[in-house]
Formats: sequence, C-alpha cells, structure tokens
Amino acid sequence: MSLLAEKAKDVTRTLLPVVILVLLLCLTIVDVEAGVFIRFLVGSAMLLVGLSIFLWGVELAMNPIGEHMSREIATSRTPLKIALLGFLLGFLITVAEPDLLVLGYQIEAASGGALSASVIVYMVSIGVGVLVSLGIFRLLGDMPFNRFMLITYVIIFILSAFVSEEFMAISFDASGATTGALTTPFVLAISLGLANIKGGRHTEENAFGLVGIMSAGPILAVMLLSVLTEQKNIASVEIDVGVAEGVLGPILDALPSIFVESIVALLPITLLFFIFNFTRFKISRDELSRIIKGLLLILAGLVLFLTATASGFMDMGRIMGMELAGMSRWLLIGIGFLMGLIVVLVEPAVHVLGQQIEEVTSGHIPLNLIRITLSIGVGLAIALSMVRIVIPEVKLWYFIIPGFALALVLSFVSEPIFVGIAFDAGGVASGPMTATFVLAFAQGAATVIETADVMIDGFGVIAMVAMAPVFSLMVLGTLFRHARVEFPSRKEKEAPSLPPEEELQHNCIMVIVNRGFAESVVDAARLAGATGATIIRGRGTQEDHKVVLPIIHVELQPEREIVLLITGAHLSEQIADNLLADPLLVREGEMAVFMVPTEALVKIPEQDAPPGGASSGT
Amino acid sequence: MEAIFFAVVNRGKANAVLHKAQEYGARGGTIFLGEGTVHSRLLEQIGLDESHKEILMIPASRQLCRKLHDMVCREFMFTKRNRGIAFTIPFRRRTLQESGVKPESPAGGAAPAYSCIITIVDKERGKDCLKAAWAAGARGGTLVHGRGAGVPTEFYYPLVIEPQKDIIIIIAPREKAAPIKERIASELELEKPGKGILFILPVLQTSGLFENEPGDQGGVAS
Repeated sequence: MSLLAEKAKDVTRTLLPVVILVLLLCLTIVDVEAGVFIRFLVGSAMLLVGLSIFLWGVELAMNPIGEHMSREIATSRTPLKIALLGFLLGFLITVAEPDLLVLGYQIEAASGGALSASVIVYMVSIGVGVLVSLGIFRLLGDMPFNRFMLITYVIIFILSAFVSEEFMAISFDASGATTGALTTPFVLAISLGLANIKGGRHTEENAFGLVGIMSAGPILAVMLLSVLTEQKNIASVEIDVGVAEGVLGPILDALPSIFVESIVALLPITLLFFIFNFTRFKISRDELSRIIKGLLLILAGLVLFLTATASGFMDMGRIMGMELAGMSRWLLIGIGFLMGLIVVLVEPAVHVLGQQIEEVTSGHIPLNLIRITLSIGVGLAIALSMVRIVIPEVKLWYFIIPGFALALVLSFVSEPIFVGIAFDAGGVASGPMTATFVLAFAQGAATVIETADVMIDGFGVIAMVAMAPVFSLMVLGTLFRHARVEFPSRKEKEAPSLPPEEELQHNCIMVIVNRGFAESVVDAARLAGATGATIIRGRGTQEDHKVVLPIIHVELQPEREIVLLITGAHLSEQIADNLLADPLLVREGEMAVFMVPTEALVKIPEQDAPPGGASSGT
Repeated sequence: MEAIFFAVVNRGKANAVLHKAQEYGARGGTIFLGEGTVHSRLLEQIGLDESHKEILMIPASRQLCRKLHDMVCREFMFTKRNRGIAFTIPFRRRTLQESGVKPESPAGGAAPAYSCIITIVDKERGKDCLKAAWAAGARGGTLVHGRGAGVPTEFYYPLVIEPQKDIIIIIAPREKAAPIKERIASELELEKPGKGILFILPVLQTSGLFENEPGDQGGVAS
C-alpha cells in the first residue's frame, strides 16, 4: 500500500463519521437549504483530497527539514546560537500564521483600538519565540518536562488573577490560533529531531512536549500585554454571522485569499530551510527534490483543506448551531459532545501527532487508545462550552484553571512519555477544524440564545478544546503507569539447539533487550572487543508474562531495543558470554542473544570506531 | 530456539500475525517498523515509492518455523502478491550454559535458495543502496531506521550524538547475492572505512516471494 493510499484511508476513516452525523441531522431535524448542503458535501470531498495530500507532503518534507534544523541547533557551540535559532524559528512560524492575524483584528476591534492588531501579532510571536528557545534548552539540558510546565503554568495562574475573564479567554484562544495546521507539524518535527540527536534513555519522552511549551507562549504574552497596558475590559463587537449562498460561489471566493495566506504561512519555514541548506546543510539533490516535492504538496493540500473548511464547513456549523439552540438546550449540549468527539480526529495535526507517536514508540502506545482519549476530552470540552453558552453563570475559569492544575499534578504520577504527548495534544487539537466548524457551531448557538455573547463565548470554545485533551491524556498516562496488571504465563522448556556453522569469518549477533538497555549492551560488548553497533527500536512480547490494561483490555507490548553487532568469529563467543554474564541485562533487560555466522564486508577505520555500523577486526 | 522467523507485513498487521503464531505455539516476538519500497521509476518520480511496513521476528524451532510459513500462506494469503513476505534465518539462541559449545552441522539438507543481504549505512544513503541493489538484479527491499552506538562530542551541551542509520534488508536468490554485494560495495564505497557495512545471512525458507514477474510491490522482494 503506498503512502498516499494509506493517508487517504486514514483520513476517510476519520472524516466519515463527521459527514454521517451532519447528514443524519440534516435529513431529520435541522433544516438546511440545498446550497449549503451541497457545498458541505463538495467541501468534504475537497477536505479528503486536501488533507491526504497535505499529510503526505508533511511526511516527505517537514520531517527532514525538522531533522536538519534541529541538528543545526543541537550542534551549536555557544548557548547564544541555540537561543537565537530557537527564538527565530518560533517567531517566524508564528508571525506568518493567518489565524493569528484574524485574532489580532478581532482584539483590536474589541478593545476599541487600544491594542492594535500588529502589537498583538508581534507580542504573541515573541512569546512563542522565547518559549521555543527555552523549550530547546530544557530538552538539551535535561530538565524534567513536568517541572518546566509546572513553573510555566504557575506564572500563568498568577497572571490570570490580574486579568479579566475576557482577556483570559482571549489569551488561551491566542494559543489555539498559533498552533495551526503548519506550525504544529513543524515544531513536532523539530522536537523529534532534537530528541533523536540527543539520544539516550529519554529519547522518546523528549520527542514530545515542544508544542505544549510553545502554546504557553501566547498565553503569557497576551496576559502580560493586558497587565502592562491595564487593558481589562473588552467591548463586544458584532461578528458577521451571515451565511453565504450558492455552491461554487463561496468556494471560489475563498480560494484566492486562502492561497495567499497559505503561501505566506509556508514561506518562513521554506526560506529558513533554503538559506541554511545553501550555507550549511548542502543536502543531496535527491533529498532536496523530495523536500521541494513535499513542500508543493503541503501547499496544495493546505489550500484545498482550508478552502474546504472555510467554505464548506463553516456555514453548515453555524446553521446547525442556530437551529439546535432554538430547539432544545439539552440537544445542543448532546450534539456538541458528539461533534467534539468526532471532529477533532479530522484535525491535520492530530494525524501528524499520531504518526509521530507510532514512529517513536514503535507502536508500543496503541494509536487508537490515544485517539479515543483525545475524542472524549474534546467532546466534553464542546459539551461544557455549550453549557457555558446556555447558562451564563458558568464561567470559563471554572474549567480552565482546575483542568490545567489537575493535569499538572497528574504529570508527576503519569507515565513520563504521556506528559509530553498530553501537552502537545492541547495545541494539536485546536486546529483549523475547531477554528471553523466547531467555532461556527458555538457562535451560531450564541446568536440565538439571548444571554450569550457571540464573541466572548466563542473565544472560550477554543480555550476549552486546548485544555481538555491535556487533562484526558494525562489521566490515561496515569492509568498506563499505575493500573496495569501483569499476567504470568507458562514458561516453555527450551529445546536443545542444533545450530549451523559454516567456515565463515564473522558472526552476526542480535541482542533483544528492554528499552533503555541498548547502551549497556553496547558498552558490555565493547569491553569484550566489539567496536560498534546499530540499534533499532521495536516492541515485543516478553517471554514469560504479558501486561494488560484493565477495563479496556488493551495489551501493552513492552518497548524493546534490537542491537545488531557484527564481530569476528573469534570474538563473538567472548562477547556473548560477557553479555550473558551481566545479571542486570539478563534480569532487568530481559535480554535474548542470538547468533548466526555471516559473510561480512567490514572495514575498520584507522584509529577509532566508526560512528555507526558495527565492525571489528578480523 | 534454532531459528528466527521473519515476516514483513503492512503496518498494523504484525500483531495479528503474532497472535496467530502464538496459537501455533510461538512464545513471543519482537516487532519493529520499516518502509517498503517499490522498484518503479514512475512511482519514484512522483514520490509514491514508499509504504509503511512492520517487521515481526519470532524465535522458534525449525519445525515451528515451517509451521509458521504454512500458517502465513494459509491465514494471511502470502501466496498472493503484496500480502507480505516471510523468511527464516538460522539464528541460534545463545545462553550461558552452552558457552563455547562448538556449533554443529550446517543448515541441513539442500543449500538454501535465498540469501538475506543486510547493509547498514548512514541515513539518507539507504535509497542509494537500494538503487545499487536493484541495478544488480535485486527486486525490492525494506528500509529500517536505526541509530549507531553513540559518539561523545564537544558542543555546548555534551551530547552523545547517535548517528542515524538506515538498515536495508534485501532477500535475493543465492546466486544473485554476490553481484548485488559487489554492486552495493562499489557504489557506496564500502571498502572505505566508516562508510558502512554489509553482511549476508543464510535463509532457510521463504514465503510470499515472486521471482519471475516484474512489478511486484512487496516490502522485500527478490
């Protein structure tokens, strides 16, 4: 199955429930005019094609770019260069984000011109730049992620005491606006690249979390802005809630401006990469053409996708919100929950994060489990937002502050890799689908309910969507760590072996150990004369017990590492003995050693071990 | 344990194969991720030349390996194209008790018809390696990402840089193994130190390989 077919299948599987839900509602209780209805169907088809192409392009271009950039950062010789590069990356990708500019204009209008849109955009971009930079220092300097987030959010909580509720909503919303369809995959790729270069036992945990750190930047920036300018009150402004008519007209209207926006958003990453490629990386032509191909696919996919959401989904969301709010409040809350449940899975960044989780943990963390947890979190977030629209007494901070506070507490007892994934998920969930379809649904509902304010309640929705997954995934991580049950299973008697042998000069030794022990294997093998080794990440069943998560009965396959060593035949026995004599590796590492004679082509470098491939003297 | 059974399947299917194998008596297995490749100029031009694969390794006795080959052919249709491939490599399990025990007779019976050629090179050169192999008559290949053992460096943060590596697994008929090896070695300059290594493992049995017709898209094809 080719990569594109794989992506298309995955997108179809997540998009189908959304289409079915909308179709069911349109055919039963919601009265929608034909134009909007057909536009929604056309939009769904565009979204399917666009998102598949986009994800394909991300895999071709974004990951290699992230890898090269992160190598450039990590191999800096001065802290100043790390700080500058990190800041530049964060600043540039944010300042070009179209959603942020839209938000900037809304705030400008709402504050009566006291805060200009450009001040907001620059402030938020500086905030992101500073936090990305700090996040990179955290990763390279081995500071625990949960402690870093605790400090960051304590500062946010303190600041939030000084700002009004409206500003709090706006600041969390700004965080959702900056983690757009493009920035999130890029920052994820940087995070993965840094973690891979840094290596060591925490590689997997380090591959996540930078998006989470980055999303704190706008919150801090906007809150600081409010405190410094003493801007507290926000006047409600009229938001255009008109519904466009026709089928093709609105799509064609939206296309040119979205095309320009997409190019502007993609430009900083592309330019930065080409400048660095020209001066530093100098990658091969094949790889360069692959990256350019990927960037073009990203652009095409993004334009299709954003046009589809803006013209096909927004009006549909608004009409549904208005009609349902007019019918029954309970229905509104229920449908809101359902929508959150399924819409979040269509977000592009959710696909990218899922892919990264799969790659990094070699499938150890079941992807569907992450998706279900994310869905439930966002479903609840939308449902609670609807409650807030229906009952004005319920304030946003009732949910946001305790939600984050609890997540932070749990981050100290949760499985470490989930902490990063959870905070990333917050930024990942609040993407273009939420910003158009779900937001329009909420605003539609707010126009019908008199006590609700279209603008203020609208802002809160994205804040909720950004908070809920952090909380729900952290709960899952805690379960993962504490609630697993181990089932002992029978241990079979090993059959006596009748191994083959040929007159070969080398042996291939394959060692399978638990994650984190590969380095010890290499060290022990080096003591016995091996010079290098290659390590592959994998997952596997341990031989004498299995681990099952209760209630949901998901079997957890422990993460394993595979170490390949090629050694001279005279050394291999000694190396194997040396490894097997290490009680820690055998007991804690649950090591298995396999050997086979091999015909090898090996050259030893003059002085030192080769940086990678295994080799040894013959 | 006298051998390891390998299966290369589409991503997400390895667990199903492993569970089935456990019903047949396998004790457990290890899974890692790889990328399959298709040998087609057209598809490569438009970037469609990759697909995600999972590689499953099950340590088992020779007898069980044969049963597992039957199993994948029957239950997972490895007899058809593009359903996956499987092969057995005579890895022997080392334990402390048999330290120094001289291994006995070779593979037993007829000489194996296939060889497994494994090349480990710096990341980014995996594609070049595959091209060289194809030029010498190989018919596919699976790419696995790994990392080399660390080398300490002296940047601002004392990182232990773990160089990213591509591991290329190619299953080829025995008589083609030598030319493929030569071709890869010369095109990737493996004779120079530090450029990468290549080794060939004997294969006892294969399933799901199609030798004659062109255009097959399996993960590893020969």
